Amino acid sequence: MTWSSFLQGLYDSAVGSGIRESGVLFPWIESIHVLMATTVVGSIAIVDLRLIGYASHRRGARQLILDLLPYTWAAFALAVTTGFLLFTSNALGYAANTQFLCKMIFLVLAGINMAIFHLTAYRQIGQWDDALPPPLGARIAGATSLILWIVIVFFGRWIGFTMQ
Amino acid sequence: MTFHEIADTLYTTPISTWIRETAGIIPTTQSVHILAIAVVVGSALVTDLRLAGVLAIDETPRTVVRRYLPWMWAALAVLLATGAIMAVGEPNRVLTNPLFWTKMVLVVLAFCLTLLFRYPFLHPQFQVQHPRWAGLAKPVAWVSLLVWIGVIFCGRWIAYAI
Repeated sequence: MTWSSFLQGLYDSAVGSGIRESGVLFPWIESIHVLMATTVVGSIAIVDLRLIGYASHRRGARQLILDLLPYTWAAFALAVTTGFLLFTSNALGYAANTQFLCKMIFLVLAGINMAIFHLTAYRQIGQWDDALPPPLGARIAGATSLILWIVIVFFGRWIGFTMQ
Repeated sequence: MTFHEIADTLYTTPISTWIRETAGIIPTTQSVHILAIAVVVGSALVTDLRLAGVLAIDETPRTVVRRYLPWMWAALAVLLATGAIMAVGEPNRVLTNPLFWTKMVLVVLAFCLTLLFRYPFLHPQFQVQHPRWAGLAKPVAWVSLLVWIGVIFCGRWIAYAI
């Protein structure tokens, strides 16, 4: 199976066709996608700002992360699910769209940034939990994350304006 | 003057034409609008979940409200400004659209709920155990979240109901 035939398969599938041919399914799924995406970005931004050094509703960074991460992950899971459903309705079109591809790349970059943070600065969070400002590694991770997610939102919105 | 006439007149103004025809203004304005939504959602999520007794219950409601209310107001200002740019640039998309006006009603409702049920928390003497509040605080927190969700859904549906 080639990449194109895989995309065609998604496009032709019952799910892809159903969403594409219904007048209302796409807008409903897209609305959930936007709600989930704004929840992801909003909750991540609170943590990122704390990592950069702006106080949150609590002083401790570790408990803040524990407070918010469940909501971030739940929203992200729903964002990916709805995103995939939207994708199937026009798989070939989206796969050929530069903004969509860039959005995917930046999502991966955001994931890598998060992984690096969890494997490095987060390991010593016991030492800098209450510190304002936090250590440099945490500040860079927070700033990078914030910038990446802002760019992801821009790419996401621009897809709709650049589809062929 | 009907909304149609207002929209048509607005459409012909130089500012409307400039917004509409300058490449990138509408998508960028919409992207900034979405980022401001993220700030409102994040702020409302933590605040309403705290008041519903679900999140960060080791912090006082006053601490949480104080932290996020300014962000909410700032984000609301950005939403109104970017919204105004979009409305001026594409008046026929919104001014004659029932979904847009539904969204505006919901925004005003959310705004009023925030004013009535969040501002009191900023006062140092305020007690959430006060009888008038105790029964209302949780249900209103959940209603508040639902209203914001409604605003977001209406916002996306504007494009599909022109």
